[in-house]
Formats: sequence, structure tokens, C-alpha cells
Amino acid sequence: MSGFASEARRLGARDAAGGAPAVPSPYDAPELYDLMFDALDFDLPFWLDVARGARGPVLEVGCGTGRVLLRLLAAGIDADGVDLSAPMLERLRHKAAAQGLRASVRTGDMRGFAMPRRYARAICAFNAFAHCETIEDQLNALRCIREHLVPGGALVLHMSYPSASLWIDPSGAPVLELESKHPVTGNTLQLWDTRDKNVVGQFQRSEVEVREVDAKGRIVDSQRFETNQRWVYRYELELLLRLSGYTRWEILGGFAGEPLLRDDQQMISWGWKD
Amino acid sequence: MEPARNEPNEPYVDPELYDIVYSWYDADLAFYVDAARAAEGPVLEAACGTGRVLLPTLEAGVDIDGFDLEPAMVEHLRAKAARRGFQPRVWVGDMRGFTAPRRYALVTIPFRAFMHLLTTDEQLRCLGSIRETLRPGGTLVMNLFYPSFAIITERDGRRVREREFRHPETGAPVVLWDTPRYDRVSQTLRSEREVEFDDEGGAMRDVRRYSFTLRWTFRFEMELLLRAAGFSRWQVWGGFDRRPLERDTDEMVWAAWRD
Repeated sequence: MSGFASEARRLGARDAAGGAPAVPSPYDAPELYDLMFDALDFDLPFWLDVARGARGPVLEVGCGTGRVLLRLLAAGIDADGVDLSAPMLERLRHKAAAQGLRASVRTGDMRGFAMPRRYARAICAFNAFAHCETIEDQLNALRCIREHLVPGGALVLHMSYPSASLWIDPSGAPVLELESKHPVTGNTLQLWDTRDKNVVGQFQRSEVEVREVDAKGRIVDSQRFETNQRWVYRYELELLLRLSGYTRWEILGGFAGEPLLRDDQQMISWGWKD
Repeated sequence: MEPARNEPNEPYVDPELYDIVYSWYDADLAFYVDAARAAEGPVLEAACGTGRVLLPTLEAGVDIDGFDLEPAMVEHLRAKAARRGFQPRVWVGDMRGFTAPRRYALVTIPFRAFMHLLTTDEQLRCLGSIRETLRPGGTLVMNLFYPSFAIITERDGRRVREREFRHPETGAPVVLWDTPRYDRVSQTLRSEREVEFDDEGGAMRDVRRYSFTLRWTFRFEMELLLRAAGFSRWQVWGGFDRRPLERDTDEMVWAAWRD
């Protein structure tokens, strides 16, 4: 998982900032997004477990093109989704229809959305919360999610822990992060990432270029994206949960429920509404 | 609450040694004395130790009180103050929950002392007590190190020659060795220190050892702590010269206001 997932992490999942940047976000190109990320399954058993244990409806915040949500629906779980990106949701609906699934998803900003139901679990996968760039964004999102939980319900959040090496690795040089095969043309897809990092701002700006390279090494297509990520540390996340009204929380170090002991682990956070 | 005690091997149980080890350090002095002089009312220094900052502040004519967890440090401060003709109001108290005899315009926590608080609950109890002891409009000022990831990865577990300086009384060489161990997820530094007293020829005459644990806090984490403790405004700088916080080698200097 590690290599692929870490690239995927940098492309992120959704853009909470809104607005229309000069360079598009990866979420403006859902087909290409899926070519890169839809096959990722490292976290699916975990989210299926969380959803099955919910004993009530599940909401995925930042559901994107449905990598997780469609798997939950296919498993017979009562799950809804919300995402900022209309193009991503359009692709999700198209994929759901092709699989004979009924997906109840809405366009909404995680900092202030409205769904018609209340949920036993809200899940936020694959570093989507990193799109909340300020403390106000983070608190608004956590409060809004909490409002959508039933009493006794829980938010489950996956964020990669920001490692020392993330900050020490140099900024500014394009790095070939990922190569995959285009399923139609057979060409190679290369994901080049140029990262600009602000360590005290806990902020990472990625300029991503996806190149399609033919058998002779010629670039036949290139698309550029920008995406930002705001990383969060463990005690910081506990304070965010406290300040947004959660009554209990637990921070774990991976999908198997292991303790968080090292900075190269994944951070799984549970926050309960009592 | 944890028992209000220092571990027997912490530096604060031996004030004479403490004063030698930090005799060379004065980078923060002008900043804290200036802040105290600018305060429009009495000043309280939390974790005032042996008075490294408090005594020069008194000499600058400021009405300043102080407290420290360690009785030996407070006793040492009183003796040093008496020799200079002062009888400051200083007492034994715990940052994690204290009361003060009056309300202050400024509360300071110099020299990274806030980093002795190892849990979020301890940090919030401290900030809450400080807010209670501030007058409306009063200010908290403190400094902490920002964790440098290069230092954390390079120095972890290595014994390094931290500093060499002259004994403040005898003039003989003193070498301070440090073996730091960093826990990147619990945000703690365990520092094992050796103070090597040499003679003029560089031969070792004596070694004293002490250790301590510090918890670091990231920038946004501190903003959340201040918010949770009821402060209404805050500002952070990257040094005592009030430059912006930009690098992870900067010192974080904080001011927070009670409105």
C-alpha cells in the first residue's frame, strides 16, 4: 500500500476550499482520478468493518467517485455520501447505475452541508480532512459532521500522520510518484508531483502533472492539477475534536486498531457524540 | 493531578548546579524585562526558578511576583534576592493549577518552562489558571522551541557536546553533554545531560548528571490550547526579536490576551 497510497494521498480526495483556481483540482478530472486511484483497496476492509458495526446508517464525507461508498453499498450497507465536487459525484452516480446500485449522494462542503438524515457513523477516508486548510475550516467541518450524528454515533477519520521525512524531504523538484497503464490506449500514465512545503504552517501545496507516455517515450498528453493539504498532529486533532463538541475520542495508529507509536503510521481517529 | 514534585534527578533539585549550567544564557532577558516594564500593572512569573529573569526584572523597577514547583529553587531565589536588597513575593506553586494573591497585567513563562507540562490536560489547567489570574486585558507571554525535524532525526539517541563555557565563579572550563531521545508521536524529548567540570588543562575533575522530559507543541496546537483555555486573541513570533515564525528551527514566542 505504502508507495501507491502515499501518491494517492498527495493527490488527495477532495477540495474543501471551493472557488475556481487557475489550475484545476484533480477532482475536475474524475475519469483520470479513477485511473490513478480507484483500484486502491488498502482501506476497504476497515471501512466495511466500521460500517457493518455501525448499527445504523453511515455517511461518507468526501465520497468522491465512490471508491469506498460503492463498496459499502454493494455490501448491502445503508450509506449516503456528500462531496464538494459535482463532477466527482456525477461519475459516482454513473458508476453506481452501471453496478445496479442506488446511491444517495449530495453536493456539499464538508464545512457546512445538510443531509436529510442522522447517522450512526460518519466516515472521512483517505486524508479528505486535509482539505480543511484552517482551524476554522477544521472546526466547522467537525461540528457539521457532529450535527449529523445520532446520540451515541461516531465520526471515524483517516489521516496519514505527518512524518519527519515528509518535512525533511526537499521541496521544489518534480518527483515521479506513480506509473500505471492506461486501460484503453495501453500507454504509460506518469504522475509527477512537485511539492512546496511549509513546515510551521503544516501545509503542503502539490503541483501535479499526469503525463501519458507512448511506447517510444513521447508525451502524448499532459494534464496539470494543484492540490493543497493541511496536515494535523495527534494532540492537535484531539483538541479539534474537543473544541467541536465531541465528548470522547480515541486515536489509533492504523487500520488494524494498533496504537499510534511511530510517525510513519496512519492515524485513525474516533470521535463520539454522547 | 500528578504529585507536585520534581523527579530526584531533575536539575531543579540542585539550584547551585542549575545556576552554573545556565550561567551563560541571557538571550531572552531583554525581551522579558522589556515586556515586564511595558506592563500596565503587576507581573507574575510562572516557574521563576532561581530568579534568572525575575531578579533583573526587579532591578528594573518592576512589581513582579513569582512561583516555582521546586522549594529549593524558591529558597535559592530568596537568598539571592536578599543579597541584592530585595524581598520579592515568591512562593512554591504548581503551574498545573495555582492561585495567586492578586491579579496581574502580565504573566510570563520564560525559558520553555511550559514544556514541562506533558499532557493536554496539564497544559489546559495551566493556561486556565493563568487566564484566571490575569486582569481583563492582561497578557500571557511565553516561549517554547519549535521541533526541528532535522534535529529530531539527526540527534536522536546521540551524545552531543551541547556547549562549553566557563564556570561563573572559578573560570574553569565546563562542558555540557546532551543525549536527547525524541518521541515524534507523543511529542516528547527525554534529555540526559552530563555537566563535566574540567581543569585548565582539559582534564575532567567532576561530572554531574541530570535529566528531564519536555513536551513540544506545534503552532496550531497551541492556538487550539489557548482557545480552549478561554483566551480571546493571540500572536506568535519566530524569535525574541519578534520576527515571523517561518522555520522549524525558530523559537516560538507567544503572546495571548484575556479580553
